[in-house]
Amino acid sequence: MIKRTFRVDGMTCPNCVMRVESIEDDLPGVKQVSASYQRGRMIVEFDETLVGEAEIFAAVKKAGYTAEAL
Amino acid sequence: MEQYLVAFITGLTTGGLSCMAVQGGLLASSLAYQIEQDMLTAGNKKSKRVTRPKTALPIVLFLLAKLVAYTFLGLLLGLLGSVLTLNATLRAILLIAIGVFMVGNALRMFNVHPFFRIFAIEPPKFVTRYIRRTAKTNTDWFTPLFLGALTVLIPCGVTQAMMAVALATGDPLQGAALMFAFVLGTSPVFFLVAYLTTQIGARLEKWFMRFVAVVVLVLGLVSMNSGLNLMGSPLAFPSLTAAAQDAPATAFVPDTTDGTLVLNAENYGYSPSRLNAPAGVPLTLNVVTENTYSCSRAFLIPALGVEVILPETGVVPISIPAQPAGTVIPFTCSMGMYTGEIVFGD
Repeated sequence: MIKRTFRVDGMTCPNCVMRVESIEDDLPGVKQVSASYQRGRMIVEFDETLVGEAEIFAAVKKAGYTAEAL
Repeated sequence: MEQYLVAFITGLTTGGLSCMAVQGGLLASSLAYQIEQDMLTAGNKKSKRVTRPKTALPIVLFLLAKLVAYTFLGLLLGLLGSVLTLNATLRAILLIAIGVFMVGNALRMFNVHPFFRIFAIEPPKFVTRYIRRTAKTNTDWFTPLFLGALTVLIPCGVTQAMMAVALATGDPLQGAALMFAFVLGTSPVFFLVAYLTTQIGARLEKWFMRFVAVVVLVLGLVSMNSGLNLMGSPLAFPSLTAAAQDAPATAFVPDTTDGTLVLNAENYGYSPSRLNAPAGVPLTLNVVTENTYSCSRAFLIPALGVEVILPETGVVPISIPAQPAGTVIPFTCSMGMYTGEIVFGD
């Protein structure tokens, strides 16, 4: 299990945080997502043997935002 | 039973608009979040249709939270007496803080600088996680609920008058029922004004977010100004405009010959808004009300520490100690909406 911080673009209000964090419900291997609208970041705790960064970015994109490595 | 009906009608007629002026900013802030969300969703779908913000639900939630908060306050007032009453200085600080919060939020919506994101309210993580996992529903209701409950901290003058009545009941259930009836009465006006504003605003499409931001900005400045009025600050807008005007060319003529000044507290402010008083002698200010139901009944002279709730009809004498020539003492309603001043001269 590793913890990585990513930059998230497109969050325009605090409600977006909840949408970004909801990827933890849909993506197997992601234990916890902690997003911050104020900092435009998210901290993701995930099992790299089950899920990769590319899949996390794709899930964030599906939620309507853009994630990228710092 | 009759007192609850009176409370409801007072809310429906004067309370709604009066409270809207004071608490409308919080409602606008909570709607702003919903509108931002709707705009974003529409953007993602690349829909070409005009987006009509779904503001009915947040408005209802805001009003529901307000109703619950004030009913609870009524219960506490009946139970605990005057312990919970905020004094004028605390209310002023609160109004200024809310004003700063709103102006900051407006600047955030204008995308002036990422710094202004600190003004956004983020629900605690455990709350959002709990909501998401248990209800699996949209959580856009947190902000209107939270801000609706916050209105309990900034009651308008009419609400304060009603709080005084709730206090006087000395019974938690009666106090709660009274505040419930009053706030329920204010709700239709709140709903109609807020809903119609947002629906008309939706026609402005891409300009709508800026429109909302401008509304929040203006209401924020009004809130800050009300706080400054309440403190009797020379930085308040009426004091600044008065200072900017030239001194009157005519000689100073006091509005009294026998040491008694008369001020009418009317439904839409104080008349006259400027009283000329002779310097160096103690005076009596008679504040007159006649079928007055507005905020102006909660009368304050911040510099003298005067704070009274005037009767609907009657005369309340207030002693004014002798003041040197050139002194200007501002007076205001308890929410800083209606203002005026006493000017001392020779």
